Amino acid sequence: MIGYARIGVIFSVLIAAVNCDSCVRPEVSLKPFTTEDATVVTNIAYIAEFDLKCESGSVNNLYADIEGRIGPISKVGPTSYQVSWVEEVKSAKTGDRVIRLFDEEGYVALRKAIRSGQDITSVEPLVYVVLNHPGAFTGPWFRSESVAVVVGFIIAYIAVSSRSKLSS
Amino acid sequence: MSGKTSVKPFTKEEELLLQDFSRNVSTKSSALFYGNAIIVSAVPIWLFWRIHMMDIMSSLVLFVVVTIISTYLMAMAYRNTKFNLKHKIAVKREDAVTRELTKKLAEDKKMSKKEKDERILWKKNEVADFEATTFSIFYNNALFLALVIFVSFYVLRSFTLAFNYTLSVGATAGLLALLSTGSQ
Repeated sequence: MIGYARIGVIFSVLIAAVNCDSCVRPEVSLKPFTTEDATVVTNIAYIAEFDLKCESGSVNNLYADIEGRIGPISKVGPTSYQVSWVEEVKSAKTGDRVIRLFDEEGYVALRKAIRSGQDITSVEPLVYVVLNHPGAFTGPWFRSESVAVVVGFIIAYIAVSSRSKLSS
Repeated sequence: MSGKTSVKPFTKEEELLLQDFSRNVSTKSSALFYGNAIIVSAVPIWLFWRIHMMDIMSSLVLFVVVTIISTYLMAMAYRNTKFNLKHKIAVKREDAVTRELTKKLAEDKKMSKKEKDERILWKKNEVADFEATTFSIFYNNALFLALVIFVSFYVLRSFTLAFNYTLSVGATAGLLALLSTGSQ
């Protein structure tokens, strides 16, 4: 009897711990960064640093789903997290990039969905953040020397044509 | 007596006529040509110093030598182009100058026909000289700068900077001097 009671107590403590751990009504404040000058780099960096505050409860480990790529998020402060990745300059997408965040519970549901071959977008995230990449500057459309040569030849053409007009 | 007449100096009209047909330019014109030539020859120094990142101090001698040669060649090009164009311009502007001056001098009854003709000739010469001088400077500068930029950035891009500078400036100035000797 004592043994069963003990097991019951342990379970109830575990359940309480799990309940305490889950984050209720999370609030995210994002500090985004993406590479905007790609003249001398080969990859675009996407960095989303955010503070996650819960109305009640807390999260220890966070996981991210960035358009199908799933991985853990590094914790950089008591309530701060950071997720980052790089993409080739040519293939880097511009616009809004949605990062879906999962706690342990959500991550388990996500793994389950993957195992059973379900659509992972059907798993509700804890919260999501949107990282906007406006595009990177890869250099001017025309090189300045080309513009200088074109302008130079236009003026030279005017000079030559005026000369032939005078000579005729 | 005949010896005396042979050393008789040219009359003003004869000198004007000679000057009109000679390749020599006046001191003022020459100063203008050399002044312009040295400026336009020195412009590529900035291009090679600031854009091609050529060290100015270590290449100072090269810059000076090439600029002097280029100045001489450009001044020659200006002179020859002016000489070739002057008479063509004079012929083109003759009617307009004559019309304008005749209208202006019509009121002056005292002036003889000969003097009026001389004035027209002098004015025609002045107009043609001025237009040929300015056009020659514009024409040669335009071609020089366009060719220097093109040659230094595209044709000789892979060569060393010193070689690139010497050839692009020297060869362009040389080419323009050569082309100016043609009659067209």
